[in-house]
Amino acid sequence: MVMTSKEQKLGSGVGFERIRRITGYLVGTMDKWNDAKKSEEHDRVKHGLAK
Amino acid sequence: MIKNIVKRDGRVVLYDESKIQKAISKALAASGEGDDASAKQLADSVQAKLTAECGENPPKIEQIQDAVEQGLMRAGFDNAAKKYILYRANRTRIREANTSLMKSIDEITNVDARLSDMKRDNANIDGNTAMGSMLQIGCAGAKAYNAAYLLTPEQNKAYAEGDIHIHDFDFYALTTTCCQIDLLKLFKNGFSTGHGYLREPKSIASYAALGAIAIQSNQNDQHGGQGVPNFDYSMAEGVAKSFASIYARKLKEGLEDALESDDEKALATLAIEKASQATGNAPRLEIDADEFDAAVIRTIYEDGRMDNAHAAHLVQTVRKRATQQTDRETFQAMEGFVHNLNTMHSRAGAQTPFSSINYGTDTTPEGRMAIKNILLATDAGLGHGETAIFPIHIFKVKEGVNYNPGDPNYDLFELSCRVSAKRLFPNYVFLDSPFNLQYYKAGHPETEVATMGCRTRVMANTAYPDSEIAYGRGNLSFTSINLPRLAIEAKGDENLFYKKLDAMLELVARQLLDRFEIQATKHVYNYPFLMGQGVWIDSDNLGPNDELREVLKHGSLSIGFIGLAETLTALYGHHHGESEEMEQKGLEIVKHMRDFTDAESKRTGLNYGLLATPAEGLSGRFIRMDKKRYGEIAGVTDKDYYTNSFHIPVWYGISAYDKIHKEAPFHALTNAGHISYVELDGDTANNIEAFESVVRCMHDAGVGYGSINHPVDRDPVCGYVGVIGEVCPRCGRHEGEEIPFEKIEELRKLYPEMTSFCGCE
Repeated sequence: MVMTSKEQKLGSGVGFERIRRITGYLVGTMDKWNDAKKSEEHDRVKHGLAK
Repeated sequence: MIKNIVKRDGRVVLYDESKIQKAISKALAASGEGDDASAKQLADSVQAKLTAECGENPPKIEQIQDAVEQGLMRAGFDNAAKKYILYRANRTRIREANTSLMKSIDEITNVDARLSDMKRDNANIDGNTAMGSMLQIGCAGAKAYNAAYLLTPEQNKAYAEGDIHIHDFDFYALTTTCCQIDLLKLFKNGFSTGHGYLREPKSIASYAALGAIAIQSNQNDQHGGQGVPNFDYSMAEGVAKSFASIYARKLKEGLEDALESDDEKALATLAIEKASQATGNAPRLEIDADEFDAAVIRTIYEDGRMDNAHAAHLVQTVRKRATQQTDRETFQAMEGFVHNLNTMHSRAGAQTPFSSINYGTDTTPEGRMAIKNILLATDAGLGHGETAIFPIHIFKVKEGVNYNPGDPNYDLFELSCRVSAKRLFPNYVFLDSPFNLQYYKAGHPETEVATMGCRTRVMANTAYPDSEIAYGRGNLSFTSINLPRLAIEAKGDENLFYKKLDAMLELVARQLLDRFEIQATKHVYNYPFLMGQGVWIDSDNLGPNDELREVLKHGSLSIGFIGLAETLTALYGHHHGESEEMEQKGLEIVKHMRDFTDAESKRTGLNYGLLATPAEGLSGRFIRMDKKRYGEIAGVTDKDYYTNSFHIPVWYGISAYDKIHKEAPFHALTNAGHISYVELDGDTANNIEAFESVVRCMHDAGVGYGSINHPVDRDPVCGYVGVIGEVCPRCGRHEGEEIPFEKIEELRKLYPEMTSFCGCE
């Protein structure tokens, strides 16, 4: 699709992709994850570098 | 008098006494009691009883069977009665399996994968596609069959009720899990994919292409992930072949230009032949470069048409250009490899191959060029800059090779950190950890621990102690124990917990052995690539009709576990992240399981091992059942998932340093596979020094395999890759929001490397 008109806009309805590691491997966008893993990913907290 | 009966599905059919007599005869024959006459007599008495009970109403099947059961017992045929009851129970089991099978197929056929958790059990299969659904229907059918016919009632109960989980149960009777493919061995003299024969590759481009094909072909013979244990060493050979042929071509062209001649093939060939004799090598990157080039220069000079200085300059240019072009071709080959593994299909098109590549220790210039370029290709991302999902990259860290400044591949280790900080891969395997170092022999890459799939590791070899190597071996099957349930049922009684654990370990060990018996009687012809092409260790010594028993003994039988954190909480009130005392309690439990698998290996001569189970489908399965059984128990069943293997719970606040040190000792115990994660925020991950310090911390703490998680987001509209909160930092839009076309034009000027925006141009 070629966008030529100055009035036209891009990106309507396009979401961000969020790639996360599932268990050792990555999964492109999380909508294929099962419910338990989604919940686990949601709960993950970051680990600080201070000892 | 009975005229009709009601079948289970409600249909009314004619009553046939001979059927009852036949069933009774079978039960009597099975127990060696009675004879045909007694069967006839019993059938008559059953009929009389039913007439008395039902009068004119047709009896139901279940009523008839009850009457037969009672009749047998009353007549004193106790054993026949037992046989009959078992037969009935088994029929019921199969019938129920059939009903639930039809329900599963209905769900697979009609429900959107986004709404069906069952269809998202494995995130790598698209359950909405035709082939994905067909695969899932096959899985459901195989599972129903395996449960009804291949498990003992005890195993089936434990599996169905969630005491244990038999992974990849759909493939129970069909194949094994995974394998480390030695590409060098496979490529030697070419190989056949089963659909066509491929000659030995001659350039880095074909080494990479055939590498992807090998992974794809093997994936169709097994149910788990495929690994390449020696990616750098394998690709190095292709780099060397490419360099040699490019050097020869550049030399020929250079001579033709300098001598204004049409064809200098003869001179170029002669020069290379003589130089090869002098160095004992084809032209190599760096190695023997000066000696080789000097010999080439000498031959050109001796030809008499060029003086020494010109010849030297020409050969110097040839080497420089050949090196540059080999580097470029290697990058393209590695880029193609990554693209292939993210786009090519396996298993009837339902999956991309689940692939892992291990590298980092080849210090030859060719190996280094391969490592550098696979990292750079991964850094560059896919067509629109997307992060590649496959292959899993595993960088093998080794002191003296790549770990410390001054080590020959230290620069590549640093590069790997930079790439991982952006793309989540590589992960790191640490060869210096004592349980990995014990196998390591310098100069023998087959003794370097490599991983495949989520975390599988195969090194020890009880069956063949001379083959403690990674190449050609893999896992045969694994089953995981629901550890938290044992703790909940023990109600704080430590002794009772261990008693229950021992019983469960026994049950799983038996089940793995039962499955091994099924696998062992398969033949080479069942696995045309894995076994037919000699990918699996020692299978090259077998013929197509040979049984696999002996070579399969190289593989591992793994007992896994999930939810150590919840187990400790259920038993003692808190988990190992919270106190040193609990850390010790956790280690005791895991050590107990490891001692069991070691003893089992010794007893059977098979490679039993302990696995820190990756919890994907399983993370929710056990806890859903346990929540239903025991209700919500704080810190145990109050989440939607059990914690992965021995991990500190993901929700528990702890420093990276403490997490690594708490988890490292468990790596030493879980010899069938393990991984530890550290979660960094985006800013920390982008600080390469900080990132590397976490990897170094893992190395120094004795972790076996680790990786660092950090958010990798991408806005498909402007191509930004990094952390995206509410608003994209590059184009400023919210999720789903549109941006004006002028803005795109502006971005196009700012980011000329973006080929397209929004993927919709």
